Amino acid sequence: MSYATTADYVHDDHHPTGWRRWVLSTNHKDIGTMYIIFGAFGAFFGATLSLLIRLQLAHPHGTILAGQEFQIYNVVLTAHGLLMIFFFIMPVLIGGFGNWFVPLMIGAPDMAFPRLNNISFWLLIPSLILLTLSIVVGSGAGTGWTFYPPLSSVGHPDAAVDFMLVSLHLAGASSILGAINFITTIINMRAPGMTMHKLPLFVWGILVTAFLLLLAVPVLAGAITMLLTDRGFGTSFFEPAGGGDPILFQHLFWFFGHPEVYIMIMPAFGIVSQVISTFARKAVFGYLGMVYAMVAIGMIGFVVWAHHMFTVGLDVNANAYFTAATLIIAVPTGIKVFSWIATMWGGSLIFETPMLYAIGFIILFVIGGVTGVTLANGGVDISLHDTYFVVAHFHYVLSMGALFGVFAGFYYWFPKMTGKMISKFMGNLQFWLTFIGVNMIFFPMHFLGLAGMPRRIPDYPEAYAGWNYISSLGSILTFSAGLFFAYIVFHAFKWGKKASANPWGTGASTLEWTVPSPAPFHTFETQPQVS
Amino acid sequence: MGSLGACPLILCCVCRVHEVKEKNRSTLVILIGLSSGMLALSFASSALYRMFCEKTGHGGTTQVAKIRPNRIENRVITIRFNADTHTELPWDFKPLQKEIKVRAGEIGLAFYHGKNLSPSHTVGMATYNVTPHKVGIYFNKVDCFCFIEQHLEGGQETDFPVEFFIDPDIVKDPTLDDVDTITLSYTFFKLKKPGP
Repeated sequence: MSYATTADYVHDDHHPTGWRRWVLSTNHKDIGTMYIIFGAFGAFFGATLSLLIRLQLAHPHGTILAGQEFQIYNVVLTAHGLLMIFFFIMPVLIGGFGNWFVPLMIGAPDMAFPRLNNISFWLLIPSLILLTLSIVVGSGAGTGWTFYPPLSSVGHPDAAVDFMLVSLHLAGASSILGAINFITTIINMRAPGMTMHKLPLFVWGILVTAFLLLLAVPVLAGAITMLLTDRGFGTSFFEPAGGGDPILFQHLFWFFGHPEVYIMIMPAFGIVSQVISTFARKAVFGYLGMVYAMVAIGMIGFVVWAHHMFTVGLDVNANAYFTAATLIIAVPTGIKVFSWIATMWGGSLIFETPMLYAIGFIILFVIGGVTGVTLANGGVDISLHDTYFVVAHFHYVLSMGALFGVFAGFYYWFPKMTGKMISKFMGNLQFWLTFIGVNMIFFPMHFLGLAGMPRRIPDYPEAYAGWNYISSLGSILTFSAGLFFAYIVFHAFKWGKKASANPWGTGASTLEWTVPSPAPFHTFETQPQVS
Repeated sequence: MGSLGACPLILCCVCRVHEVKEKNRSTLVILIGLSSGMLALSFASSALYRMFCEKTGHGGTTQVAKIRPNRIENRVITIRFNADTHTELPWDFKPLQKEIKVRAGEIGLAFYHGKNLSPSHTVGMATYNVTPHKVGIYFNKVDCFCFIEQHLEGGQETDFPVEFFIDPDIVKDPTLDDVDTITLSYTFFKLKKPGP
């Protein structure tokens, strides 16, 4: 461990070089950087698969993914979901920005367990390799990211699903270790004077996320293990022929799966709060309300799981409970949305790229939230379940909510991480291309879903052709905006202006802006005093 | 730290680092405990889920009667019978009566018929429930072929009896006033590992 044990050690800028710096890294900034690069790779992989899906669906009777009686389509769809969740959103938001900025924002020298941090990251590499194998082995894993049995047990006899399940085991272990590290760091290593009620909202977002991970992911691990033994060792946890129940799997999966969607959005909540406060040049409106809204969302998130299962035959009372509990989540969420708006209200707004993304986040997240309130009603959901309306809903909150959080955070912290400024013109252009693109993809899906188009199908009747075509055009636009983003980053590294310690002005009041840009290898070895 | 209040700055720094390390370690233990607890719960869920369904009648799980009802209410309920067979089990399985009428508290007896269509010995086990699900808690089985494994030799056929009653307390539950028909359903599965 690299704690300062004597005063003069502080000035010894211990700096490993070459491959050792990265492979054996225990430095939170280097590990964060690796997470972001890894996540960018996952994003490119996952986005390419989504482009393939949209090309298949551009016209009726598409043939691009028609191989193996459309099993290829199922496999691509499954891998798209898993990649985006486990290998893009989570690594970037939690592993990337979390590692980089939690220690900086609380004035800690590093994470509590730097070696554990290294393991967390490197577990993801074999995990991604196994997931890739699950695409190419045998007929591939075409179960959807939810891998319900019996489709994932007797329905997929070859090893593809086993590879996928072990991959998720590793990703899950990585997340749990990361969560332990974040919680310990935030609880024990805050700078003197940095009380819990002074923590920046991004840190709160990561703290709540870490608790959700700690409590939800073990349940996924249990369900996966039972599924693996059902597949390979003749147990029947989920097999009625041996006295098991496939519905139990759905209960376990969604007990993990619902908190998981908050795991993806909570860090984005935090980023949006920091960004809006910075560019409105005001403190966040209703700080305590914002904190406890996140805590409340996290807690209620554990008791609403069966709203994913309204059509499995739960009785009326259970459906009524899960409807009511789900609707309650709209209250703390509403507190957050109104507090963001109130933070902007009367502020002197600067429309830098991160601010555009944060405002875009609010608009799109509210649209996704409204369809969420619609779907939360068990009675309504029975007719909308497994239609494109659901696909539109969760892409508005995740693909656009979490993704816009990623972009907002990246544009916001890029100067701190690299010491370079991103061109404002190009960044803003990329925002508008992405904003128009994603809305073109997903808004028509509401109409398709209401018209009854089921999700997870590779073909559709002519009646749905028009909106599907527009949606596919949108995905080409969005993908192009993604490539443009890669160019913008390249441009910034090559020709970007040098960033000052605090390029965003007085609104950026958190501790990371008090260290130079790029942030030096070691920071806060002597903890700052927070007043 | 309090007792070291007068120590030089460097010493303070050292003891603060040790203090943080110690706190980190105990936090680590608590967090590993929490997460292991959730893992254990998820494995226990299989048994807990079954207990929950049996105790509450959730999902239309029927009850096993320990005592016979002490009275018969004047409420007639139609019991309909349904039978399904998993494709892996080569049996012909069907109810011998479409429906019967019983009063609440009255013992009903019904029969299903099973025939092994294959030439070899097979073992089946039936899963069961009732609809509407909310009557599961009031539907009591005195004896049922679904309680045990059923063995049929190649070509053998047999009748499967089920003896049941509706708990007379059903008349006291206003949420069940709308129930005048109950469907009793069985699905026979091929048993993977027959018991001895």
